[in-house]
Amino acid sequence: MSDLDRAIAQLRACRPIPEPQVRELCYRARELLIEESNVVTVDAPVTICGDIHGQFHDLMELFRVAGDVPDTSYLFMGDFVDRGFYSLESFLLLLCLKVRYPDRVTLIRGNHESRQITTVYGFYDECVRKYGSANVWRYCCEVFDYLALGALVLGASTEVPENRIQQSNYDTQTTLPDIEGEIECEVLDANGEVREKILRRQFNLAPAQTSRIGPAPDRDPNEPSSPITSSIPPSQSSPSQPQPQTGSLFKPPPTTTGALLCVHGGLSPLISHLNAIRLLDRKQEVPHEGAMCDLLWSDPDDIEGWGLSPRGAGFLFGADIVRKFNHQNDLSMICRAHQLVMEGYKEMFEKQIVTVWSAPNYCYRCGNVAAVMEVGEDGSNGGSVRRVAGGEGRREMVGAEPGMGSRNVVGDGQTNGQQVNGGGGGGGASAEGSGAVVWNLATPGRRYRVFEAAPQGTRGMPAKKPVERQDVTVRKLSAFRADEYRSDVTCEMLGLSAAQRAVLKVLLLWLASATCIDSSRCGLYRAESDAALSAGTVEDADV
Amino acid sequence: MTTIPCLGQSGPLASYTEPTKRIHDGTDVQFFLQSLAYRDITTFILQLNRSLVPRKRSADGTIKEFKPDSPCQEDLLPQVRLIQQLVSKLEALIAEAPPDTGPRRFGNVSFRKWYQSVEERVEGFLRHVLPETLHPAIVEVQAYLLGSFGSAQRLDYGSGHELSFLAFLACLWKLGYFNAEPEKAELQLTESQADTTPQPQDQYREFARTEPHIVLAIFRPYLNLIRTLIQTYNLEPAGSHGVWGLDDNSFLPYIFGSAQLCPPLPDPDTEPPAPTPTSGSLASSPDPSIVTKRNLVEKEAAHNLYFSAILFIHNIKRGPFWEHSPMLFDISGIKDGWGKINKGLIKMYDAEVLSKFPVVQHFPFGNLLRWEKDPSARPVIQTTHQSNQPLRDPMNGGGSTNATGTRPPGANVGTAAPWASGAGTRAPPPLGFVDGVTQAPWAKSSAVTPGARGRMPPPRSARQSPGQSTHSQASQPTSRST
Repeated sequence: MSDLDRAIAQLRACRPIPEPQVRELCYRARELLIEESNVVTVDAPVTICGDIHGQFHDLMELFRVAGDVPDTSYLFMGDFVDRGFYSLESFLLLLCLKVRYPDRVTLIRGNHESRQITTVYGFYDECVRKYGSANVWRYCCEVFDYLALGALVLGASTEVPENRIQQSNYDTQTTLPDIEGEIECEVLDANGEVREKILRRQFNLAPAQTSRIGPAPDRDPNEPSSPITSSIPPSQSSPSQPQPQTGSLFKPPPTTTGALLCVHGGLSPLISHLNAIRLLDRKQEVPHEGAMCDLLWSDPDDIEGWGLSPRGAGFLFGADIVRKFNHQNDLSMICRAHQLVMEGYKEMFEKQIVTVWSAPNYCYRCGNVAAVMEVGEDGSNGGSVRRVAGGEGRREMVGAEPGMGSRNVVGDGQTNGQQVNGGGGGGGASAEGSGAVVWNLATPGRRYRVFEAAPQGTRGMPAKKPVERQDVTVRKLSAFRADEYRSDVTCEMLGLSAAQRAVLKVLLLWLASATCIDSSRCGLYRAESDAALSAGTVEDADV
Repeated sequence: MTTIPCLGQSGPLASYTEPTKRIHDGTDVQFFLQSLAYRDITTFILQLNRSLVPRKRSADGTIKEFKPDSPCQEDLLPQVRLIQQLVSKLEALIAEAPPDTGPRRFGNVSFRKWYQSVEERVEGFLRHVLPETLHPAIVEVQAYLLGSFGSAQRLDYGSGHELSFLAFLACLWKLGYFNAEPEKAELQLTESQADTTPQPQDQYREFARTEPHIVLAIFRPYLNLIRTLIQTYNLEPAGSHGVWGLDDNSFLPYIFGSAQLCPPLPDPDTEPPAPTPTSGSLASSPDPSIVTKRNLVEKEAAHNLYFSAILFIHNIKRGPFWEHSPMLFDISGIKDGWGKINKGLIKMYDAEVLSKFPVVQHFPFGNLLRWEKDPSARPVIQTTHQSNQPLRDPMNGGGSTNATGTRPPGANVGTAAPWASGAGTRAPPPLGFVDGVTQAPWAKSSAVTPGARGRMPPPRSARQSPGQSTHSQASQPTSRST
């Protein structure tokens, strides 16, 4: 078993690894991350996760619900640290997994992966407390600087991915009445039971038409099974409307969709094309402003255009911005995290953007559930994936702007005939005098797995496996009663360094809970408390 | 030998001025720590703190504890009762602004309604409460009172707001408001003292009877109001370090509550006065370690401010106590008693609240709490300096390659996003618990109101003719160029 596997096992048991190992790990991670582009390419299928915020036990629950690494390929959209009690364990575990399975784990940067934010929101305090110095915090911050700013998921299918995880014997297929049509989105609970199925909006295609693209009107705008009611003005469905899809020279694969852009926060007014992200110099502390800052800080909002962010960094951006960006970059969807959503995920702007949140009962008090999002791979290309942003794919209408010709949503001035058949980077909008209909690439088929906070009983306990191996000092110390640990003399007798003591403290804490010692009785962390109080602040312990 | 400092009750001032923000960067915090305002605030806290320590009558050895339930309404000073009524009036206003049921993102917007109605009525309330001679002082007093309910704009509440309420009380104290009827104060609290020999009228003894009432009959209802506000409107914590802060919102109840459980001081006090205990506990005090046991906490919460704060945590949080409140869990392991806890918390308050720029930056200064150097102030020690620069010191050591890492200390705040530079009297940044929103620590005070959203930067499409190519739109919105 390699050192790395040992570290993974130790971290899975929620035990921090020693400082020299952290240093080594961070070095290796940096070597790996430095090779990645600012926008790292990820092939579907992949499971996309939002904020973790040091909720280690909930991260374990996430792996239980959505599959373990490396069986499942994961993309984490940042904010691994801060707020929670186990930022250190959570981040180091993810980093270990990244180093161990570089192709199965993708980590991108969140606004909390920053020196300044972590000193305010807890990760710094946690490192100092757990290691007695800020060294580990520094190693981690150096890794933060190398994390990619975004990820592009390619080869996603418009079909809901095959469910590879069957956690219950319950026949999920019978839980909901059969519905006709293509399922676009499926919501599963932590047991793998289907909670909800959402039909893809149906378009009225003549049988002769083989191409599925084109601005055909809805069959029935008020179709009950359709989650979106049509916003097409009546004039859109009039026979006089041009039908440009007839005679299409290009037939995009019916199940292919555009790329998904994953980014922690959102868009930036300085970025109108993905290439602009690729040009950034990302290897730095997150700046207070500018494109890099915006990508990590912005939020979508029900506004038009851009707005000031109440966060004091980044911007608010409206549906028109998203539609346009997705259109210009041949994206079918933007996935982002950054904002708590009570249901774990929230799709906005006609499914052009989704917020995924993976920290259940955030901060122990919000009572929210968490979610991850799975997208499947499109097999119609025989497994080959186009290495361009987006490209050809099935298009669907994402919005109509009745009577707002001057709004100029996207695809300015392009004629219908050109844009629909254009496939790739061409336009996707049909502009008419009465309004403009936007045709963006079809949203990918997706499955949300919703889960709640890990049950109390699993906290403070190691993952199900027993402790892999205890080194000598651990065995020595575990023989001691927790209270005895409080004596510094004991530690000195054992010849423990400050760092070792810190690690052992955490370990003992776990031991205490694992062996059902009344936690309020044992010293452990409290051993520090006198010192912490008399120092006034934990930060004083810093260099 | 120990001297017990106390805040002078100087009475009405010749003139008053609207308190203004003075702390603009880290170096201002250094000045604050040596200012008259700082001296007055810390003196008042220590004074209130000491007043809550139980007393042991030297005559018969009985111990008098200060509990919220011990003084009945009739015992209270009329002034105290008036302020208490003021607080309950504010609480009653909550009914007029029920929480919004619609989708919400930043706490509950109805809090703004409540706050607005407070803003409208607070002057009238204060006119009712204060004697006519003190009406000119309302301009100063009201600023602190209004600053003590959290930020309507950010929908958050933190220890900075709590400090503002303490400042409000300190101002009233300085104005001599609580001293108006000293003969009435004689009758308070220590009923057993009524028949004892006349007390020497030293300053300490005189105010010691009013102060427990200030904490138990004013500050405690205030805390209850705040907790109601937090729960009703989902106010976010302002200025916490995640689980690594003492508490998401409060600090002072832990100080005052631990004082209630300290070993008793002699009564009447010795000459010179006995020092405030720094170790040991009241014999009947609960063990600090019971904080993890909700049922035991519930029992104590009625009498003790410390445990009432702990109970509030139990009410709003789920999960192991040592995980979501590790600092409080640590404190619960202290073996040297409540005196030690009390001493440590006061020290921590100084370091984590009064010395922290994000917390005190919006504290305003007027003629009562003056932005003026205290001639007797000791120079600020280095550790304090470090601890109030939490954003910069670690960064500079971290080898940041970005400009922020090379900026001189104190510059961070000024380098916020351009729109965030408008100074206003706003609370410290919120820490998005309810909605997951994290505030940029460098964001000073963007005067963003919901109505202002979406106005800038102007949408590019609005300035563009439909025929233009999409690729020519890479120009930045104008507001970003600053």
